[in-house]
Amino acid sequence: MGFIDTTRMLVLLAFRNLFSHRVKTAIVGMIMLFGTLLVVMGTALVDSIERAMEQSITASLAGHLQVYSAKGKDQLALFGGGFMGADDIGRIDDFSKVQDALSKVANVEAVVPMGLEGATVTAPGELEGALERLRVAVRANDKAPLATLQAQIKELLQQMKEERKVSLTITTDTKDLNEQIAKLDEGLSDALWARFEEDPLAVLEFLDTQVAPLAEEGRLMYFRYLGTDVDLFVQHFDRFEVVKGERIPPHTRGFMFSERFYERVVKHRIARYMDRVNESLHEEDLTIADDAGLQSLIRRSARQHRYITYQLDAKESAQLTDELKALLPEVQGGLPELLAEFLTVTDENFDARYAWFYAHVAPMLEMYAIDVGDTMTVRSYTKSGFLKALNIKLFGVYRFKGLESSDLASGTNLMDMLTFRELYGLMTDAKKAELSAIKDEVGLKDVAAEDAEAAFFGEGAGEVVARVDAEGFDEFADVKLARTETVAVDRTFTQSEVDHGMALNAAVVLKDRTRIKASMIEVEQALKDAGLDMKVVDWRTASGLVGQFVLLIRAVLYIAIFIIFVVALVIINNSMVMATMERTTEIGTMRAIGAQRRLVLNMFMLETMMLGVLAGAVGAGLGAGLTTWLGAVGLPAPNRQLIFLFGGPRLFPEVGASNLVAGLVVIIVVSLISTLYPAFIATRISPVAAMRTEE
Amino acid sequence: MRAMPAIVQLQGVHKDYPLGNLVVRALRGVDLTFDKGEFTTVAGPSGSGKTTLLNLVGCVDTATRGTVTVDGASTSALKESKLTELRLRKLGFIFQSFNLIGVLNLFQNVEFPLLLQGGLTKGERESRVRDIVDKVGLTEQMKQRPNELSGGQRQRVAIARALVTRPSIVLADEPTANLDSGTGNAIIDLMKHLNETEHTTFIFSTHDSRVMSRASRIVQLVDGKVVDDGHGHRTGAAAVAPLAEA
Repeated sequence: MGFIDTTRMLVLLAFRNLFSHRVKTAIVGMIMLFGTLLVVMGTALVDSIERAMEQSITASLAGHLQVYSAKGKDQLALFGGGFMGADDIGRIDDFSKVQDALSKVANVEAVVPMGLEGATVTAPGELEGALERLRVAVRANDKAPLATLQAQIKELLQQMKEERKVSLTITTDTKDLNEQIAKLDEGLSDALWARFEEDPLAVLEFLDTQVAPLAEEGRLMYFRYLGTDVDLFVQHFDRFEVVKGERIPPHTRGFMFSERFYERVVKHRIARYMDRVNESLHEEDLTIADDAGLQSLIRRSARQHRYITYQLDAKESAQLTDELKALLPEVQGGLPELLAEFLTVTDENFDARYAWFYAHVAPMLEMYAIDVGDTMTVRSYTKSGFLKALNIKLFGVYRFKGLESSDLASGTNLMDMLTFRELYGLMTDAKKAELSAIKDEVGLKDVAAEDAEAAFFGEGAGEVVARVDAEGFDEFADVKLARTETVAVDRTFTQSEVDHGMALNAAVVLKDRTRIKASMIEVEQALKDAGLDMKVVDWRTASGLVGQFVLLIRAVLYIAIFIIFVVALVIINNSMVMATMERTTEIGTMRAIGAQRRLVLNMFMLETMMLGVLAGAVGAGLGAGLTTWLGAVGLPAPNRQLIFLFGGPRLFPEVGASNLVAGLVVIIVVSLISTLYPAFIATRISPVAAMRTEE
Repeated sequence: MRAMPAIVQLQGVHKDYPLGNLVVRALRGVDLTFDKGEFTTVAGPSGSGKTTLLNLVGCVDTATRGTVTVDGASTSALKESKLTELRLRKLGFIFQSFNLIGVLNLFQNVEFPLLLQGGLTKGERESRVRDIVDKVGLTEQMKQRPNELSGGQRQRVAIARALVTRPSIVLADEPTANLDSGTGNAIIDLMKHLNETEHTTFIFSTHDSRVMSRASRIVQLVDGKVVDDGHGHRTGAAAVAPLAEA
């Protein structure tokens, strides 16, 4: 009874004191309000980013969990940790064992085999490409494109000749150049092309061996690829969508570029340049006038007009010249000068020229170095260090919905598991059978390393022996035959081949994603029960540094909040100390008439807590309102890295009860801590203070 | 001569204050007894030790030497919290500057010590407060805040607050110093009336001779010493006439 009444009196006192010290209350209240707003919005944003990022990571590459061999030296880093694809994460020799073990875990929806590696592909040079197309046409006896191709080749040779003539004027070493010009002249001669009618292959051979080496080499493109069970992948990673061509058909060898890689690397150089300027102006809000990097890019690209002219035949050149002259009547000179001027874009003319480029120039060009439907030669170093080359068909281009423009999510290209294994350095069943047949034929015998001595010099002496590869893979067996080999791709395979084979890691997709931690333990146990020595990590760990990024954001937020609250603490503390000083007589009087120190302490704490609750509630309400509003309109990702973190071009933050509670708890704790010292001072005020006369 | 038992006793009381490097000797061997029901004034010029004496009796300060016994309890032996308890249960205070709690209204100011004491129902508290406020003649102003009252009214509230707990002793430090003489007289009349009707011991300090004359006993202090204890004991060259002050 007494306690309640006293508390009521203290509340009344606190309330009236707050009201009577309006300025102090307003300042401290605003700080508390802002602090709570910051905590609520900050934690809500980071939580939302974490959820969005989880979506990005789990739906693009990682699944909810990743399992990989415990023998690996490095941590799995799907989005790159150290050197992409170079990490040693061990390997799963027989994926089906993992699959079988995990199929027993109730919350597991799917287990998708994976392997991430890097390889190169060379896009043919302009001349090389034109000659290849000519060869294809000749072989197919297709007369239609012959004239165009011949014209284009002649145009290229003519340009190469012109370039060498320019070189002649600036060098003293003219011997090589003159020889080259002679060869180019021969390539341009009517006699040669007359001979083409009768014996095209001979002419092609001359051009391939004598003229093509004079041309620029093709472009080497490095890319990262994910080898996987494409059917499973497409089924369980639902952000996957085909942009161009088709997905790799079931049980078929093949390759898909990611849209981002295709547009950023494989696309025609000048088109990429135009795209990049467009992106800088319209997405990054840069201006050419102010951005030195853009200016430099434009200067460089304007000089590269030959990447357009190389691809044009005489007729196209003439047509483009006419069109450009109409567009740029003030420019003197031929197509090179016109193109150089056309490509020297400014803030004012860029949009018009960008549209013009795609309407008039692009249709004449081969826009992608590798087209959907093409077969490309992919080269990769196997784990044992020799170069492996495979021909793979490009079926299409894909992207992850919402993450189109994220470099991180879209950096990985896709291939079937069997091709992956071969590039990794494993042999197909067919190869193994072939090798076994060769061994039988020449009488080779497998001998284990430890028995080699006996086999060589003991009872078995005289027999021809070969050592069994300790890992069980015969990747060295045919190494003597060729350092580089190009393997004709077996077009199809069976599901059993996919399942009963190697993978580097496996993605586990869960039915209920909220149970990641519990499922992780179940998965670990299932693998252990199956006698498999594997590591299990969640998507965050599996994604490498990227996954830690949200922790970094969180840390930065917490540090910012901490600093703001330390400042708030000092300000609240100071203003409370001043308020305490002002109230010396009042507190002295209370003490004189019998109030214990504890009551004075409680009075001060209660006062701050009430203000904290009030300001905190308003701050939390405002924070929740603002976050909800942001959740409705979406927070645009300011750059491409953030698209990945935002799970798309916009983040739609949501505020949860935990954010509100966090805001309130933090502000009340901070308020109480900041009041401890002034409250302590207040308790030390002597009742004698009441006796002093106020003047 | 003494009709009532002693309620406050001071024996050989000294009080020293440090002031920079100096020591101010505010009280120098004070021996005094206050009886229950007395209406005593402590008189003396500024700096004579009146306030110090009241502080010691009021348990808001303790003696450097000597003993102060209030209602049977020796204050030097008590801890801070016990002294506070003693103030709450046995003492009432009236201050020169009234010292009301500005954010509380008249009723709440008077009720405050009762809340600190605890043990009473809301109804009991209310009746106690109404009763005493009625006695100081402020029933009409019950809901007003201190800043809405005149100086005299405020001091009446302070008197009501001091008396509401029914203390044994009410201490008043220059209760009329901030009031005009008419109001001051009225306050002393009220205190005197309550002294007679409630039998509460009043000890107040003043250097106003008119106020002094209303007291039943006048203790004279000069330079920290009692020169006249009001019972006819004069010490030293204590032909100190009551000081006339404006």
